[in-house]
Amino acid sequence: MAGGFGADGRMPDGGDPAEAVDAPASAFVFEGSWREFAPIAFTNLLLTIVTLGIYRFWATTRERQYLWSRSRFIDEHLEWTGTGKELFFGFLLVTVLILVPFGVIQLIAQGLIFRGQGGIAAGVFIAMFGLLFYFSGVARFRALRYRLGRTHWRGIRGGSHDPGIRYGLSHMWKYALGYGAIGLMVPWAMVSLWNERWAHMSFGQLRFRSEADFSPLMKRYLLFYLAPLILLIVGFLGIGAIALGIGAAGDFDREELAWGALGGLIAIGFVAFYLLWGLAYLFFYAKYLRVVISEMRLGDDISFGFSASTKDWFRLILGDAGLVLVTLGVGWIFLSYRHWKFFITHLEAYGVIDPEILMQSDTPMARHGEGLLDAFDMGAI
Amino acid sequence: MADRVEASWYDGLTARKREGVAVLAGDRLLLTEDDGTQVALPLQDLRLVERRADGLILTLNDNRGFRLRLPGPIPADMAARLPGENRYGHWIDRLGLPRAAVLFAGISAAALAVVLTLPSWLGPLVPASWERRAGDAVIGDMGNTLCRTPAGDAALRQLSAAIDPQRPLTRVDIANIDMVNAVALPGGRVVVFDGLVQEAESADELAGVVAHEIGHVRERHVMQALLRQFGLSILLGGFNSNVGSGIFGIASTSYTRSAEREADDYARERLAAADISPLGAAAFFERLSEEHGDGPDWAAWVATHPAPSQRQAQFERAAREGADYDPALSQQEFGALKSMCEQDADVEEFYF
Repeated sequence: MAGGFGADGRMPDGGDPAEAVDAPASAFVFEGSWREFAPIAFTNLLLTIVTLGIYRFWATTRERQYLWSRSRFIDEHLEWTGTGKELFFGFLLVTVLILVPFGVIQLIAQGLIFRGQGGIAAGVFIAMFGLLFYFSGVARFRALRYRLGRTHWRGIRGGSHDPGIRYGLSHMWKYALGYGAIGLMVPWAMVSLWNERWAHMSFGQLRFRSEADFSPLMKRYLLFYLAPLILLIVGFLGIGAIALGIGAAGDFDREELAWGALGGLIAIGFVAFYLLWGLAYLFFYAKYLRVVISEMRLGDDISFGFSASTKDWFRLILGDAGLVLVTLGVGWIFLSYRHWKFFITHLEAYGVIDPEILMQSDTPMARHGEGLLDAFDMGAI
Repeated sequence: MADRVEASWYDGLTARKREGVAVLAGDRLLLTEDDGTQVALPLQDLRLVERRADGLILTLNDNRGFRLRLPGPIPADMAARLPGENRYGHWIDRLGLPRAAVLFAGISAAALAVVLTLPSWLGPLVPASWERRAGDAVIGDMGNTLCRTPAGDAALRQLSAAIDPQRPLTRVDIANIDMVNAVALPGGRVVVFDGLVQEAESADELAGVVAHEIGHVRERHVMQALLRQFGLSILLGGFNSNVGSGIFGIASTSYTRSAEREADDYARERLAAADISPLGAAAFFERLSEEHGDGPDWAAWVATHPAPSQRQAQFERAAREGADYDPALSQQEFGALKSMCEQDADVEEFYF
């Protein structure tokens, strides 16, 4: 039989991984260290500044080369084969094909406002917004495709035959429906788009599949959805109780002091409101990623898992914030490292893979990088 | 026979790991698998990925799936023929990091300097007629938001002719916008918002504002700002949007401030020539600055002004001791301006 992994991490072609004995049970292991990463991050920062930002495409590439090369899947490290030139080219393409035309359209729309054609201008803005919405869907698809296409493992890469044009339409109508149903169908839109995206992806000759269901997410989503209401009620009740207490006390000397304290409490309540609401989203998002990743399959035999709990996510974000604050912002250059490490550490894979029959992908390779995604300042997977 | 080194590789076609030896053979690297299969790689096609603790990792330029690992020590003759590491990128590797950083910093500083200073030279060179045509194309007649009455139009004409007699091209209008602001727009247009007209307590105050905005037109500040904005947006396009706009803001603010100063200088000069008291402007700028926000986005080119107390003082100093100034407009003419938007029956509300 072909070798199973996830449990013993053994390959069938005798490639007994050196670390097999005391390697953890996970098929994905991150072996990087921030000390090794630091020279890359700092030189990237320097070069990005002195080139007025143009180096950032090469900087991203160097970062990924390092992070991928320190991420082991079973017995072999991943390899990032994308180039800075590709990313730069993708950026130029998006600038010329999308950003410049949109700038011109915006200028025209402003002219229309000046001419008093507010209605037409509003129409132009709405159309522009719709197009941007469409492109952001295409961007997400194409970025995933690009990243899989530049990720090699044992010399094999991933990719997709689909250019993502139709995915952009799905992205539009599914999110429109999700938000249209007073926001209640957003989890459905997220999960269904995740499934659709991955259904078009492959690694080697193996296809990805994802058949996640959104219903397990609804409880947490509703909590997030209703959180503002719940928090407001709790807040008002609390403040009301305190105010009542002050009123009842009726001692004039202390009263002024107490009202001042109440003002402070309201301010604290405001901050707490956003923190708790953010936490409610985290609680939902952690489950979302666990659910969608656990329903993913590669070929017939490989399945995936993601083990990050809300607590893990909270610690990650708290660590990010602390790092950036303590270093007065410089720590920002280590965030990509932390996030990748978090991702790989919590990623799991189970099943069997036979490298004898894993063949190179025949998907087309776009010659440009994820310019679109870049243009929208969007995140990774 | 050249030295053989241990090697393992993936061919980029299947995921099977191949193991054997590598040996230099002329301008090729010959890989011999344990089962005897051979593959010859032209040395110039090889690319060094990384020097790791567990050996050298190489790939092929035209087959990035190909991955060769040479785990053992490399004999000197082979090491000399293998490609060097591609670390920061071709140009930087060739120059070395410190030299490249200094060079890039120099180029960037020069480019920034050009983009920031060139518009001051280029702006005035753009023919006013071009600017007017471009301005008209973008802004048009501002729809039906400009207030018009015969008496008001006459008063505005008189005011602008008094301030700027040689330049009838400059058009001054009052727009039906309830904000305390005035803008100089592309194409030699000065638009005073009705909110400001209502706020003004005398014609002299209004004259000061109009003279200031005409100053922007005459000094070609609008064209300069447009050119600078264009140049910066191209130059800083490499940064992600937040960082870019931050630098953008810092870089352009100093220029708007000096432009404001120039416009004020112009206003004082013209007010003196027209025998209008600068004290009105002083009083108005004082009040305006207290209520002045940043204004709407589309009017960004009028942006930040110098310290208000300083401007006010400068206008106060410009007043001639004991001079008997003429009022900029008669009470009746000033009243015509005040009531212009109210009297214009079919003027429309301006929406953003």
